[in-house]
Amino acid sequence: MLRRNASQESGSEESNMASGSVIATTGLTKAYGSGSQITLALDKLDLRVNQGEIFGYLGPNGAGKTTTIRLLLDLIRPSSGSATIFDMDVRAQSVEIHSRIGFMPGELSLWEGRTGLQIINYIASVRGDAKGIAKNADEIAERLQLDTSKRVRDLSSGNKRKLGLVLALMHEPELLILDEPTGGLDPLVQQTFHEMMNEYREKGKTVFLSSHVLSEVQAICDRVGILRDGDLKAVESVERLTHVEFHHIEVDFRDAIPAGLQEQLANMPQVSQLSANGNRISMRLVGDFDPLLRAIGAGYVELLRVEEPTLEDIFLAFYSDKEKAS
Amino acid sequence: MIGSVFLETYRQTWKQMLYWGLGLSALGMLVVVMVPLFDMQQMRDLLESFPAFVLALVGVGDELEIFATNEGFVAIGFFGKSALIFAVYPVVMGMRITANDEDSGIMDVVLSLPVERARVIIEKFLAYAVSIIGVVLLIYLGLHLGALLGGVELDVGRLAEVTFYLVPLMIFVMAVTMFIGVVIRRRQVALGLITAFVIMSYMLQTIGTAGEGTVAETIGIVSFLTYYNAGDILSQGFIWPHIAGYALLSVVLLLASMHQYERRDIAV
Repeated sequence: MLRRNASQESGSEESNMASGSVIATTGLTKAYGSGSQITLALDKLDLRVNQGEIFGYLGPNGAGKTTTIRLLLDLIRPSSGSATIFDMDVRAQSVEIHSRIGFMPGELSLWEGRTGLQIINYIASVRGDAKGIAKNADEIAERLQLDTSKRVRDLSSGNKRKLGLVLALMHEPELLILDEPTGGLDPLVQQTFHEMMNEYREKGKTVFLSSHVLSEVQAICDRVGILRDGDLKAVESVERLTHVEFHHIEVDFRDAIPAGLQEQLANMPQVSQLSANGNRISMRLVGDFDPLLRAIGAGYVELLRVEEPTLEDIFLAFYSDKEKAS
Repeated sequence: MIGSVFLETYRQTWKQMLYWGLGLSALGMLVVVMVPLFDMQQMRDLLESFPAFVLALVGVGDELEIFATNEGFVAIGFFGKSALIFAVYPVVMGMRITANDEDSGIMDVVLSLPVERARVIIEKFLAYAVSIIGVVLLIYLGLHLGALLGGVELDVGRLAEVTFYLVPLMIFVMAVTMFIGVVIRRRQVALGLITAFVIMSYMLQTIGTAGEGTVAETIGIVSFLTYYNAGDILSQGFIWPHIAGYALLSVVLLLASMHQYERRDIAV
């Protein structure tokens, strides 16, 4: 069912291809090992990323996000399937593609003994137009409050990420590919980063970013693709996805759970996954808290715990609701 | 821009080149300065008294006449062993062409730029080859300075030939290292293999030199060090077929590395 949803989403985007998807993959598969030791890192990925959108690529660690990005960059080669960027094959025309994209890896490694400025100048010289690019780099570094005169080995992990962002953005690429871009950045810089991405989108440019930070995805992405175990489970707009609102609730009573409370809660349509353990009662609550607070008022509440759902919870909820609806 | 990888690689390397060059040239200078302290006739007599295997260990074959000269003394004292010490430098540089950057993840950044994999290899290879020439040049200057300071008469031409013969030899070692690094993606394994290769080659050369005219000599043929014999160079000058052999093998290894690297996944 989930697979069908994803396929339907992909299918509905065929028309977008005609209008020029920036990234398009067809049956993109990557397997490691051989014989009985084969590990499928990515399984028949069909994905379209449209021009001018910020596409969030989500999934837990090991889901295949970085594998997808490395395939798009021609760092690794697919076992089967194909991928295009700007309608060009990622392998055959990699140099031309790379001149139009900016990339920041999840685990950024740079030359430890070189200063930020030296690295900027080097990357700019490889890209050509070193002067123009270096000027842009200055502006971005200033905005991110990065001191480019320091050696990489003397930079904190957050400042290394900033340098990575400068390197990815300084040549004003048409497409940005960012792997976990804000990991290690402080909240203020994250905010600046979000502003920069929004400005980027306003210019009609495209961003493909992998993340497992829901707040980041909510703040800047137009659509998200959900990957798990190398399988694209769904592609949805952020608006639809975040419409599902629920919380995990735990209530600890000082005394025994009031008589009849469990039955009362079980009959409430907004409560699910109800369970009791000693004096504690746990549930998933959708929507407002008021009906729950009134129901538990009969007992003495010692502690009330409310947990935000994880990204995975939201997706599971989203698709189980979708299944029910269908 | 073409040449940018070359220039950056060279910028990142010149200090190591300088340190290695100064270190080896200081060693060479010391050996040259020591020449007047020895009586060359006594040296010849001493060498004749040694068994072939011991002579082979210090890099001397059957050219005892040559080794009883000032240049020969320098050849034994410096070139016999310095080649092995110097071989560490091209191994380090060869590892840097792909293996180190791949292992650290830097290669992901480099190859996300508009640059072909083959270009990265060839520009880095050339930059490190230039740095090898730089080290050799510094060694040569060190030997000269030693001769001036010690008032030692040396045949400048022969000395230059022995010294600059190190260039194709070291570039070959770098090419082998690079190739192993490209084929074996794991840096530590690649480093172990190239170290074993150099040590085995030294042992085979020693055995081959010690057992001239026997089956041991045939075994020695497979060692790349066999074709760097200071005594032969001092007596015959550049041995062009050997130089051509090093150059040809280096080019073949470079092309094979470029081909293999183009085909495979970049490791993380």
